[in-house]
Amino acid sequence: MSGVLSGLYSAFVKRNSIFLATIFTGAFATNIAFDIVSNKVWDQINKGRQWKDIKYRYMQAGDEDEDE
Amino acid sequence: MSLSSKATTSLVRHAARQQLPALRSSTSVVQKRNRADVTDASTSHAEFKSPFHRGLGEKQDTTVIPSFKKYRASGGENTNKLFQYFMVGAFGGLSALGAKNTVQDFLVNMSASADVLAQAKVEVDLATIPEGKNVIIKWRGKPVFIRHRTGDEIKEAEDYDWKQLRDPQPDSDRVKKPEWLIMLGVCTHLGCVPIGEAGDYGGWFCPCHGSHYDISGRVRKGPAPLNLEVPEYDFPEDNALVIG
Repeated sequence: MSGVLSGLYSAFVKRNSIFLATIFTGAFATNIAFDIVSNKVWDQINKGRQWKDIKYRYMQAGDEDEDE
Repeated sequence: MSLSSKATTSLVRHAARQQLPALRSSTSVVQKRNRADVTDASTSHAEFKSPFHRGLGEKQDTTVIPSFKKYRASGGENTNKLFQYFMVGAFGGLSALGAKNTVQDFLVNMSASADVLAQAKVEVDLATIPEGKNVIIKWRGKPVFIRHRTGDEIKEAEDYDWKQLRDPQPDSDRVKKPEWLIMLGVCTHLGCVPIGEAGDYGGWFCPCHGSHYDISGRVRKGPAPLNLEVPEYDFPEDNALVIG
């Protein structure tokens, strides 16, 4: 336990540059993860009501490019 | 100050002096009783011992050095240090995220919305334009000249010694496909719309102040300072043109 903690400490916190880099990388990753998760939640709540869910009713497979 | 008032003040002072020791003794009694309560309570095993305690006796021991031993981490400093740095880092990261999103929202707010962007593009079917013909279309409120150039015209535009021009530009910089010349139909002098297939150089002629443009839209004569502007355009398919 203590070895793991001191390992973490010396790996990420000891040098300020690495600490800062870790923080910004973590913020970046958190941003992406948050976006993905919140989009999933949104899609789950609005299931069946969005264009991508009802697209097949109005468009054939062939003319996909027409709209997008 | 009168004599009588002096007498009353001294009396009050005297009374206060008399009262103070009594007050002190009464508080100490209360403290003592509290202490006794804690130690006697059979339900509680914990006894609070202040780090600054001066002993339990009647007389205070003023030589005791305050000790915080009880509060020190037993498992070394690493756990607490890492936790503190983790919290600092996590909040720093969250603040960075918030700052980034604030700035981004402001910048995105300034950019054009999707409906504006959709209107800002014009699609042209090039198959309907025969060789050697001009077409003028409206794009973002301005005329756009589309010229289907013939082989002779391409050769003429490419062979001209462009380095001597007022706004030197080779023909290859102005076209993506040599047979299609696409440019804004706004004279660079004062913004009139030049007339196609006119002028001394077989290109465009501005009737307002007499600027002559060649078959590549470069100014050759007259007051215009720059060549006709080439907008952003693309050929998504062979015979399709998207301007914007």
